[in-house]
Amino acid sequence: MASTEAHLPAGLLSPAERELLHQTWSDRPGFWGWVTAVDHKSVAKRYIFTAFLFFILGGLEAAAIRAQLARPENHLLDPDQYNQIFTMHGTTMMFLFGVPVQLAMAIYLVPLMVGTRNISFPRLNALGYWTYLIGGLFLYSGFILNTGPDAGWFSYVPLAGPQFSAGKRVDVWAQTVTFTEIAALIAAVELIVTILKQRAPGMSLNRIPVYVWAVLVTSFVVLFAMPSVALASMMLAMDRLVGSHFFNPAEGGDPLLWQHLYWFFGHPEVYIMFIPAAGFVSDIIPVFARRKMFGHTALVLSLVATGFVSFGLWVHHMFTTGLPQLGQSFFTGASLMIAIPSGVQVFCWIATLWAGRPRFATPLLFVIGFIVLFVCGGITGVMVASVPFDQQAHDTYFIVAHLHYVQVGAFVFPLFAAIYFWFPKMTGRLLSERLGKWNFWLFFIGVNVTFFPQHFLGLMGMTRRVYTYLPETGWGPLNLLSSVGAAMIGVSVLVFIANVFLSLREGVPAGDDPWGAHTLEWATASPPPPFNFAHLPVVGGLYPNWERGADAPVVTGLGNSHREVLATTVMDAVPDAIQTHPGPSVAPLLVALAIGVTFITGVFTPWGFVVGPVLLFPTMLMWLWPRRKPAAERAWCEERV
Amino acid sequence: MTPRQTGNVDVSGLPSVVFGQRALLWWGTLGFALIEGFSLVLTIASYLYLRQNEFDWPPGRTPNPDLLIPTVNTVLLLAMIVPMHAVDRAAKAFDGRGVRRNFAIATVMGAVVMTLRWWELLALNVRWDTHAYGSAAWAVVLMHSTLVIVDVFESATFCAIFRHGTAERKHYPDASDAAGYQYFLSLAWIPVYVVVFWLPRIL
Repeated sequence: MASTEAHLPAGLLSPAERELLHQTWSDRPGFWGWVTAVDHKSVAKRYIFTAFLFFILGGLEAAAIRAQLARPENHLLDPDQYNQIFTMHGTTMMFLFGVPVQLAMAIYLVPLMVGTRNISFPRLNALGYWTYLIGGLFLYSGFILNTGPDAGWFSYVPLAGPQFSAGKRVDVWAQTVTFTEIAALIAAVELIVTILKQRAPGMSLNRIPVYVWAVLVTSFVVLFAMPSVALASMMLAMDRLVGSHFFNPAEGGDPLLWQHLYWFFGHPEVYIMFIPAAGFVSDIIPVFARRKMFGHTALVLSLVATGFVSFGLWVHHMFTTGLPQLGQSFFTGASLMIAIPSGVQVFCWIATLWAGRPRFATPLLFVIGFIVLFVCGGITGVMVASVPFDQQAHDTYFIVAHLHYVQVGAFVFPLFAAIYFWFPKMTGRLLSERLGKWNFWLFFIGVNVTFFPQHFLGLMGMTRRVYTYLPETGWGPLNLLSSVGAAMIGVSVLVFIANVFLSLREGVPAGDDPWGAHTLEWATASPPPPFNFAHLPVVGGLYPNWERGADAPVVTGLGNSHREVLATTVMDAVPDAIQTHPGPSVAPLLVALAIGVTFITGVFTPWGFVVGPVLLFPTMLMWLWPRRKPAAERAWCEERV
Repeated sequence: MTPRQTGNVDVSGLPSVVFGQRALLWWGTLGFALIEGFSLVLTIASYLYLRQNEFDWPPGRTPNPDLLIPTVNTVLLLAMIVPMHAVDRAAKAFDGRGVRRNFAIATVMGAVVMTLRWWELLALNVRWDTHAYGSAAWAVVLMHSTLVIVDVFESATFCAIFRHGTAERKHYPDASDAAGYQYFLSLAWIPVYVVVFWLPRIL
């Protein structure tokens, strides 16, 4: 177990200087500190915690679905409740858990991994979290008030249009989506800037950890995917609120426009969850295989290729809509092509494990579970990329099985691996290995028992979103089996929750680097101090912690009394400038509330979009207005020029 | 391969006020311009997608959009580049008075653009709820209008910050970035103007 200071030359920072640095970068104490926090770690931890709360809510909805379908002609839920619950399940898992938790993990890890003191735009980061929270609370308020959306997580028109979905249920969905898009776009921009401009000296592009590459690619995918769904949801809201006709075929509108815009976002969204997950795996495997990663360059190129190709697949969700044959062929080709970079990554992971000396701790178990499930989900993905097969399987439980193998296998499993791996860094305590193994095996068996039979149910003709079925269909036994599997997953998640709470109280202290890992976040304390690193490290290779000796060089000359971060050049990370970061502020929360008022009022009246900005402008002004500084501080600001 | 650094790296001599791609905020502005620009591209793509559903564009007896006000506003929007370019130059010379004056001019011009934007919407000669053509045309113009509102707010705020004496040297690069955002905003209008006001005459 390496010590923090072991990596750093002794005596560079006196205890008094260290204390000053601590004060400079700390959030304020108490409730006021909580609402004004801008430390990327504080914001990320509450982001992760909130996302897991939504994961549990989404899981409870899944449990209700499986309880309803466990036997034929069941009346546990009525059709209306069932519609709301499956819509809430999909919306929660995709918009309130999947994307946010991946971005939240990145917000926590990236500044540490690239060796800087905070994320590039700390107040914007806080705004992203508050906006996301308001969106989630708004959705669940609607659900509690029997106004939960009920047109599915992709809200196809005309079902979701004003004619077939009266009331405000779909509007609640559309505005929730808008909130989560704002949060995701904010996270993407600040992560890109952190990665491109705030890397530790020496961390040239060829020395960036794979996970950081994955986050960079994902952030660009977010940048180009999210505007599409933001536009679509705004058009849907306008069709419903002010009588526009974007999706109304009677007045020249087009329901397929909705599908194009939605899936231009929706398919890349899968990769927004998967690409960082692949990054987790690529940085976890070398630690437990105890060797350097096989095929680093191929892995990185695969991530970049996946990012690009992810935008060429959206139409495979629309194969049954009567597209021109040339279009179908193109999108079949593109959908098959994504298997190439995915396959390259799988071979690199297996080769690394094969040639290493694997240590089967819980994070690695989840990684291996991921590889198995991802390959299964990938194979059915190749099957449904083929138009004739897709036309048979479309809208059946075969697709439900496929998407859950991909989502749970390729996103949730690596996420659990990452939580087990980085929990000690975030909290200073290790999660229990014994409970971790129970968690893994229950989850792995549960997922297969739940979703494998659903392939057959789909092939037997069971369509998605039916709230019940007749005994004569013969779907009963496989549905019961699937529900038993879901119960196993539920128990597994309970074990995980117990593990987290028990370990927080009684877990083994982790030390700085309990795994002997190679990336920079392990070169500081667990949990890291507010300033992350007493001295920013200087990087000399791809595996900095494995390569750094006791006399490794560090950065000196950054001020301790102001929030100074080092800006470096994009390609070679050469120190270029000092930039000052803003401190804690309540403005992000106030701006988020103003955004909340705008969009929530906008569900009921278009005047919301007039009233909202009236609140938005003063709060923005409060954010931007520089406080009048004491003379000494002003002198310091000038001096730095 | 980047060479390894052997000694400690002393950064105490580095500047804190830097312009352009050396500054973090420049990259942030670029990121948001990319998002907004791509949103505009998608809105225009949706407009063109809906075009496929009609024989005539504008459909039925809907008249073509008028050109006078939109053309005047286009010229005004492009002319805003002039004071903002002056803001950029003044910022790089740390000339607070020049920054403030040109921000004030840009704010006034932006306010005029926003006011004319209302008549520009009327010049579409169709309501948003008439049919899909009307919805799409309003959507494209309104999408750009949100950017103009943000820009006018930003210019007015900068003007006030530089006027009331709380501006520091670190605000000069921010002012320069605001100029870059204005160039994007003005240039992004050109495709909107061509598609919404000219294309119905051509297609």
